[in-house]
Amino acid sequence: MITSTNHHPDENMLIEFSAGTLDTAASICVSAHLHFCSSCRAKLLRLDQVGSQLMSQAEPVEVTDDALALVMEKIDSGDNAAPKAADFDGDMPFSVNKLIDTSLVNKNWKRLSSSVDVARFKTGQENFEVALHKICAGGKTPKHDHEGLEYTVVLKGSFSDEKAVYREGDFLLRQPGDVHQPMGAQNGECICLSALSAPIKPTSPLGFLMKPWLRINPM
Amino acid sequence: MITSKIRTTSQNRPTENRVATLNKSEKRSDQWSQLLISVGETRDRKAFAQLFQHFGPLLKGFAHASRNEGWFPGLGDDLVQEVMIKVWNKAAGYNAEKASATTWIYTVARNCRIDMLRRKSNTQHLPLENEDFWHEPDEETPISLLQQKRSEDRVQASLAQLPKEQDQILRKVYLEGKSHAEASAELGLPLGTVKSRVRLALQKMQLIVSKEAQE
Repeated sequence: MITSTNHHPDENMLIEFSAGTLDTAASICVSAHLHFCSSCRAKLLRLDQVGSQLMSQAEPVEVTDDALALVMEKIDSGDNAAPKAADFDGDMPFSVNKLIDTSLVNKNWKRLSSSVDVARFKTGQENFEVALHKICAGGKTPKHDHEGLEYTVVLKGSFSDEKAVYREGDFLLRQPGDVHQPMGAQNGECICLSALSAPIKPTSPLGFLMKPWLRINPM
Repeated sequence: MITSKIRTTSQNRPTENRVATLNKSEKRSDQWSQLLISVGETRDRKAFAQLFQHFGPLLKGFAHASRNEGWFPGLGDDLVQEVMIKVWNKAAGYNAEKASATTWIYTVARNCRIDMLRRKSNTQHLPLENEDFWHEPDEETPISLLQQKRSEDRVQASLAQLPKEQDQILRKVYLEGKSHAEASAELGLPLGTVKSRVRLALQKMQLIVSKEAQE
């Protein structure tokens, strides 16, 4: 298990995650990062303690007299066994595993370009396209700007751009104005989880050749 | 197949190793965690009833604090029921080395509350529940109950000393369940101000270090 990553979600994202107010697509990415990052897990525990202390200070509201009896009745009726997490792959974040098992739009990778494949998820929200991207070893992606937000978490392998090398667990947020050209590492394919709120914007004059990149399908 | 391409190794989650023995001061330190351990280990109904008595009204209060999209009048009773059934069912997996009962129950309640609100306001099928975001790998460094109790006490003490506006913003975020954007609209403050106010509060409580230290 990798426990140190170099690129993390910012504090406000962790706080919103802890309070449960972060939107679904961003939550999927933060939870994937947490799987790899022990320092953010430790931070989250401290933030959760704030939530728990605030809940303890909430104005208590009396429950009905039969509330406990009703709960015991349901428990005894026995149909409440916690569902077992089937087939948990310890190397992948739980939420990603579950999406792969239940929510792939297609069962197979789709080609975006000669070096990038995509697999999209249905996540029940309308703001982000959530997908896996696979860059082949040494694969180049087009240089691009961003029209909206792009969250990326490296799940396997590594890639680099002009600024740095990103390894398993690293969390990236790209915004309009951030121009980069990701490249897959030479020593193996790289798989990333990503959430995009708008299509990327190619910076090359031949950008019109990148048709498959220019549309997103939030779902 | 995507599944086989990504999954290079397949291993089951290791079963959690819980502390079997606690020393005396730890036993005294947090009665709720002790009760929760009893529920998990021996299906102790009396312990569960005590937890219910303490947490039931707090959970209902927590539900009543969030009048967001999807809020409905019966949410309070529904939340108490759903959370306490989950507490009973998941107690065997509770690990006192990871979080105190209060923190653990808060996370269950937070996830339940969001999922209930979402189910009410969303007609789409949601493949992921909020609960799915909290399957974390086991920590290598256990934290004793005593340490946890101490750090919770510190959190409680420092909450009490926050300036009013910082206290207010934390309550909005955690109790009312407002996103930063919703809080900004409601308070008539720029989003950036909300963000820095929340961070300031947590810095003051010494829960986070100075701004974006890791970047």
